[in-house]
Amino acid sequence: MKYAIQQLSIFIENKTGELTDITEILSKNKISLKAINLVDTTEFGILRLLVDDAQSTKRILDNNGFSLTITDVFAVSIEDHIGSFNEVLSLLSENNINIEYTYTINCSKNGAFIFKVNPDNFKEATKALAKSKVKLLESI
Amino acid sequence: MVWNEVECSAKEQLEEIQSSRLIETVERVYTLTPFYKDKFNEMGITPSDIQSINDITKLPFSIKQDLRDNYPFGLFTVPMNQVVRLHSSSGTTGKPTVVGYTKKDMDVWDEVMARVFTMAGTTQEDIVHNAYGYGLFTGGLGLHNGAEKVGATVVPSSGGFTERQVMLMKDFGASVLASTPSFALHMAESASKAGIDFKKSFKLRAGIFGAEPTSKGLKEEVAKVWGIDYHEIYGLSEIIGPGVSCSCKHSELLHIFEDHFYPEIVDPKTGEPIEDGQRGELVITSLTKQALPIIRYKTGDITSLTRSPCKCGRTMVRMESVVGRADDMMIINGVNVYPSQVEHVIAQTKGLTLNYQIVIHKKGHLDKLDILIEVGDNIMMDSIGQMENLKKSIQHNLQNNLYIKANVKLVEPRSIERSIGKAIRIVDKRK
Repeated sequence: MKYAIQQLSIFIENKTGELTDITEILSKNKISLKAINLVDTTEFGILRLLVDDAQSTKRILDNNGFSLTITDVFAVSIEDHIGSFNEVLSLLSENNINIEYTYTINCSKNGAFIFKVNPDNFKEATKALAKSKVKLLESI
Repeated sequence: MVWNEVECSAKEQLEEIQSSRLIETVERVYTLTPFYKDKFNEMGITPSDIQSINDITKLPFSIKQDLRDNYPFGLFTVPMNQVVRLHSSSGTTGKPTVVGYTKKDMDVWDEVMARVFTMAGTTQEDIVHNAYGYGLFTGGLGLHNGAEKVGATVVPSSGGFTERQVMLMKDFGASVLASTPSFALHMAESASKAGIDFKKSFKLRAGIFGAEPTSKGLKEEVAKVWGIDYHEIYGLSEIIGPGVSCSCKHSELLHIFEDHFYPEIVDPKTGEPIEDGQRGELVITSLTKQALPIIRYKTGDITSLTRSPCKCGRTMVRMESVVGRADDMMIINGVNVYPSQVEHVIAQTKGLTLNYQIVIHKKGHLDKLDILIEVGDNIMMDSIGQMENLKKSIQHNLQNNLYIKANVKLVEPRSIERSIGKAIRIVDKRK
């Protein structure tokens, strides 16, 4: 699917050393991390990662006994002016698209906003944004 | 004090009562329930083979599964218009075990419970605070009726609301407490936190405790902290409910009301009789039950029997406080739960077999149940909300089906301890 970026969502328990277990495996396997986003409750959390090759990273983590799932997200380039995020949100809201979650990543230039929407709305959302002046990214 | 002089009968007299009642019961189940008739036929016996109580070992055993297989009323030997009460306990496959009582069965239950209260010295001068759960569970109503029968004033407070219960016990001047031992300690803790002086404020003199396995240390603690006589009560709904046996003030052994409930001790595996003083599985035959007579019911409880005389004058056989289980049944705050029931609920919730572990521990004096569930790729979702909902729906189903409150914890795959590759299903940290 155009503009779909594969994100890994990994289940982790809230206890010391959990994150390093994952980062060590990734670094040993020379996997470059593009984005890291962690959401948690008191007991467990979901670690969301953007990497170069989601499929092979999933395989590696699976083999190391982690539970994870791949989710499609899309990325919009951050324009360097006030109201940039608001522009994107307004476009989505005008099209009645609900955002499940969002976070930002920093890459060499300005970085990007990452959005997760209901899979049923994915095409509609990216179509609306592609037509507008905001810049959707095909990869990161 | 003894409620009924039959409790002090000579051995021969007792055996005579037991023999005639057993003959009647066997005749009853053989004629009225196809289940027993088939079992008797399989073993090649007829009621005429049973001439006295000593012939009881010729009879077939029955087990909890038999009650489930005949759900709900298949083993009843009276028409439903004769049944005045039903009780039930949680079941494995969503189907509970159901027990029924005729008016006469209720009289027997009241009678044996009156004996229990009399053992604890209860009279019409007493105020009995009953903190056993009222409802489908036999504990609350069983104790209630017995206390009424001896003429005491009953406070039917049921479980929960600890602080209010402490206040009522103090203000009403309760002299006898009926509850699980862990709840008694929990109340004591709550009272001392509130700065209540036990000696001055409470009139409590005796307690009737049961429904959960209790260490000697815990019993002593309950007796000491409340400054009361500790009486242990034993029973199970399949036989009558509470009131199968109870300890008097002279020893920790429990007198079994064997004119109504005939006990045997057998090897849990072979079913062979085990001699007095040795531990084995307790098997009980109801001698007077009408609605749901039960023959040689394997209780799963491990104990031993003693026939030595007791200072109280009662001659009825005494059993040791239950020391364990022949199967993997757990008792959580008085509620019986099998791991297979928990497994069934988990599997039903998600339509998947999940890797789980049951961890039982104590928070203060109450049992707490944690259920660890490994999050495999099959249930992993990219949404905290959905993962929390999964947790909640399992908790909800456990409460609805098994009447237990559990805290479900989602854990990483392969984090549950394994023993030779097999996950360890139960960790009991209470011991």
